[in-house]
Amino acid sequence: MTQGSGLSRRAVLILGGVAALTAACGGGSDGSGGGKVTVWHGYTDHEAEALGKLASRWNSAHPEQQVELVFNGGNDGALQKTLASFVSGNPPTVAYEFGSSLNGLAARPQTQDLSAAVRDDKDFGWDDLFAAGRDAATVDGKVYGVPALVDNLSLVYNKKLFDEVGVAYPTESWTWEDFRAAAVKLAKPEDNRYGWAYVNDGSEDTVWRFLALLWQAGGDLLSSDGKKAAFDSDAGRQAMQLLHDMAVVDKSVYLDTGDQQYVNLFNSARIGMLWTGPWDLGSINEDVSYGVQFLPGKVTHATIAGPDVFSVFGDSGKADAWPFLKWLLSAEIHLEFALETGHLPIRQSELSLPKYAEFLEKFPGNKVFVDNLAKNVSKARPNIAEYPKISQALGAAVQSVLLGKEEGAAALAAARAEVDEILAGS
Amino acid sequence: MTALRIRRRPSALHLVLLPLSLVMIAPLVWMVLVSFSTREESRRFPPGLPSGLEWRNYADALTDAPLGSWLYNSTVVSVVCVVGNLVLCSLAGYAFARIPFVGSRIAFLAILATLMVPFQIVMLPLLVMVRAVGLTDTLGALIAPNLATAFGVFLMRQFFLTVPRELEEAARIDGAGRLRILVQVLLPLMRPTLATLAVLTFLQTWNDFLWPLIAIQSPDTMTVQIGLQSFQGAHTTNWPKLMAGTVLSQLPVLVVFFVAQRFFVRSVASVGIK
Amino acid sequence: MTAVLTPARPLVEAREPRRRVRTADHVAGWGFAAPAVVVIGLFGLVPVVWSFVLSFQHTDLTSPGTFAGAANYAKLAEDPLFWDAARRTLVYTALFVPLTMVLALPIAVLLNQKVRGIALYRMAVFVPLVTSTVATGIIFSWLGNPQFGLVNALLDGVGLPKQGFFQDPGQALYAVVAMTVWGWLGFAVIIFLAALQNVPQDLMEASALDGCGRVQSFWHVELPQAAPASGFLLVWLTINGLQLFDAVYVTTKGGPLRATTVLVYHLYNEAFVSFDGGYAAAIGCVVFLVILVFTVVQLRFNRRTSHFEAR
Repeated sequence: MTQGSGLSRRAVLILGGVAALTAACGGGSDGSGGGKVTVWHGYTDHEAEALGKLASRWNSAHPEQQVELVFNGGNDGALQKTLASFVSGNPPTVAYEFGSSLNGLAARPQTQDLSAAVRDDKDFGWDDLFAAGRDAATVDGKVYGVPALVDNLSLVYNKKLFDEVGVAYPTESWTWEDFRAAAVKLAKPEDNRYGWAYVNDGSEDTVWRFLALLWQAGGDLLSSDGKKAAFDSDAGRQAMQLLHDMAVVDKSVYLDTGDQQYVNLFNSARIGMLWTGPWDLGSINEDVSYGVQFLPGKVTHATIAGPDVFSVFGDSGKADAWPFLKWLLSAEIHLEFALETGHLPIRQSELSLPKYAEFLEKFPGNKVFVDNLAKNVSKARPNIAEYPKISQALGAAVQSVLLGKEEGAAALAAARAEVDEILAGS
Repeated sequence: MTALRIRRRPSALHLVLLPLSLVMIAPLVWMVLVSFSTREESRRFPPGLPSGLEWRNYADALTDAPLGSWLYNSTVVSVVCVVGNLVLCSLAGYAFARIPFVGSRIAFLAILATLMVPFQIVMLPLLVMVRAVGLTDTLGALIAPNLATAFGVFLMRQFFLTVPRELEEAARIDGAGRLRILVQVLLPLMRPTLATLAVLTFLQTWNDFLWPLIAIQSPDTMTVQIGLQSFQGAHTTNWPKLMAGTVLSQLPVLVVFFVAQRFFVRSVASVGIK
Repeated sequence: MTAVLTPARPLVEAREPRRRVRTADHVAGWGFAAPAVVVIGLFGLVPVVWSFVLSFQHTDLTSPGTFAGAANYAKLAEDPLFWDAARRTLVYTALFVPLTMVLALPIAVLLNQKVRGIALYRMAVFVPLVTSTVATGIIFSWLGNPQFGLVNALLDGVGLPKQGFFQDPGQALYAVVAMTVWGWLGFAVIIFLAALQNVPQDLMEASALDGCGRVQSFWHVELPQAAPASGFLLVWLTINGLQLFDAVYVTTKGGPLRATTVLVYHLYNEAFVSFDGGYAAAIGCVVFLVILVFTVVQLRFNRRTSHFEAR
């Protein structure tokens, strides 16, 4: 018995020390020290090479403001790693984060508020950036990052399959009915061939496609004051109906489990159409002749963007990192990066640069993505703390409709109840 | 007669062991097949056999990234942890199994308790501890928490319990001290157990991903598992290269196992044969 | 020497020797155990205790939190997601642990033979441990793919209907069981093998001399010898089974429709997606308590049955 309390006494002492440490170091941070900027990123392959070249160029021109690129172990773990770095007391100066992570970071003292910097520095060109990027970097009206990547969902289709079944290629004015009819024609269940692929793992990948449908039908995710769910509406029900019709009635949809086999299937001519982003274009095999088009529409041809950001940490981080970030995100430099990687431009002004024509030639599929970005991205996901839970509720609803377990209306109603509760509890 | 018995028995064994082995190694075989494919081949479905041996994936895996540095880091960490566990867990396992000392039961339970809280929660306080001892962002951060593992202590204690007390008592009557008995009498009997502990400790530290991910920041200190992630793109993955890198990264573990399983030498001959 | 180890020895001491525990024992005990205890105490116990503290706070795990009393536990008691996750975790563990052990022991016995190529067979059984979780997840997902998977192709060939496996809310958890049993089999086999290897040659020969057939030898010699290993595995596999996470993360991400959201996955969601660190810590502590109870019970049971030491 004495041993037992002895141990816990020891533990309490250590705990006290640890608590003191955390309290002392939780607030400020060591940031970079003396102008050195560490940039954590998840780039690999060509992207890493391209970024590396740019960083070397900066370093030779700015010996007093060296930049060190550090691979973060993969973007999926980026947020965890960043949070852990707060705990261990040496966060990076800059880190690449998913747009969805920004809300979690905004609340931390280490994350720097860049609102003043972006507004005051006219050379930075904040308003020149595409709206999608700006929205993703803003939480509650304050700017906590700068856009690193913008993208959106567009329709990618296999031209040969379309020719084979005798359907005309998708056009800018395709409706949901056109889309559904084409999927039916393209699908051949006995041959395990599908007209469309939908990622059905219940994660945000499942939800954001549904949001595009919802917005196309003229609906909204939340009410304008952000206090209640608004997706349980006619628009929402129509979107669910389309999914039900295509997946359960027509059986023309391949439900991807999240392992991204849909790309391989598309390459093997087993799927006719994808809703995907520019990142998948690089995985399409040379022997597949594909086209890119706006998403089909109902009220609008709305699409959804999923930008990522660079966030800045540490009190001195802002001053240290700003020159490099500003340079990296400038029109000319970013276009160079885009030329190497196929990333979409993040600024309007990149489109008027002379090298832009070269970019379109090298990545023909990207033209539609860029147009889509400019024309059809008008709504964004709310950057609120409750969004991850909302996403889970909606993800479950969409999954259950696609699997034929529930009718759209019932699924939406259940999700609405859950979301309202989540928002009420916040 | 006996000769016939020997010949008939092994063949029956093969009938069971062969299919079983195939089931067990199938994924590794798949990994190897993909590692010899071209990118185009790996992006088709259903996946077929690679048409040729694309050695370039292995070359790329070795040259495109500091695989050597990662392997070195991982090796240092794993080897030190194996040695640490063999020593510290043998000592502690023996003590918990055979020495009736005050507080042993509570201490053992406390050690086991450390295994019972999910790592996702524990890892952040652990990070604070590591920082408190000044090991952040060093290989020490990966070594120190694993120098003696609850698993190791538990395993050794369990196997020490199976060693007949008489052996130890006989030696004590001869006047040997506990440490001498442990090292010269008991441990030599437990080679398979020690080999098991060595292999599993090596495996666990070699394949650890989550802890190195958050404890290590500098590229120089990265281990193989973290480094391999750089072969996996945000959206597009160079699967053949990733599989080549993965296969390369698992070779050391396989070698360690192959060497260690020689210690499972006393396989019992078929009963009835002397 | 053989006399010491033959089965019917009456002098076998299963209970603790009835002698006074001397100071020398206390010193020796702590002397031997201290290094491991210090390492594990510092890097294992302190964080665990710290996690308890966190469970009584409202915190996001990286900034100092505010005291919340038992609020997290109250929330937990009323959270249907938590109870569902708990149920699933128990179902999973109740399948995973016995299956792994029951399959592993015979395999270990088979691998304990002097047969040509036994080293290679042992390697083969070990390979799943070496295969990365990511690769395993991809392969099993593909094998179980509702449209294109190999398993469904086989089922179809035999005239049985195709199954959803990882994509079917009713089957996904069992698919994960299959995948993790495959992954852990090698581990269990090695542990059993080590135990069987510790069987002194003499015992097997003695039993043969006594006229025991192969099966009888297994039942009376090898099985009891494997008992302490069983005890260990039961505890170890339970500890791991109740904390299932990786396999779910690389295949179903807790779905479909939360069918595979086990306790630790729920915890992960709360900690790193919803940033409710205190609540996640509370879940972690409940997991801890469950595991603790299981372990204590199993250890008690072990002590009574581990007296199969060389008879």
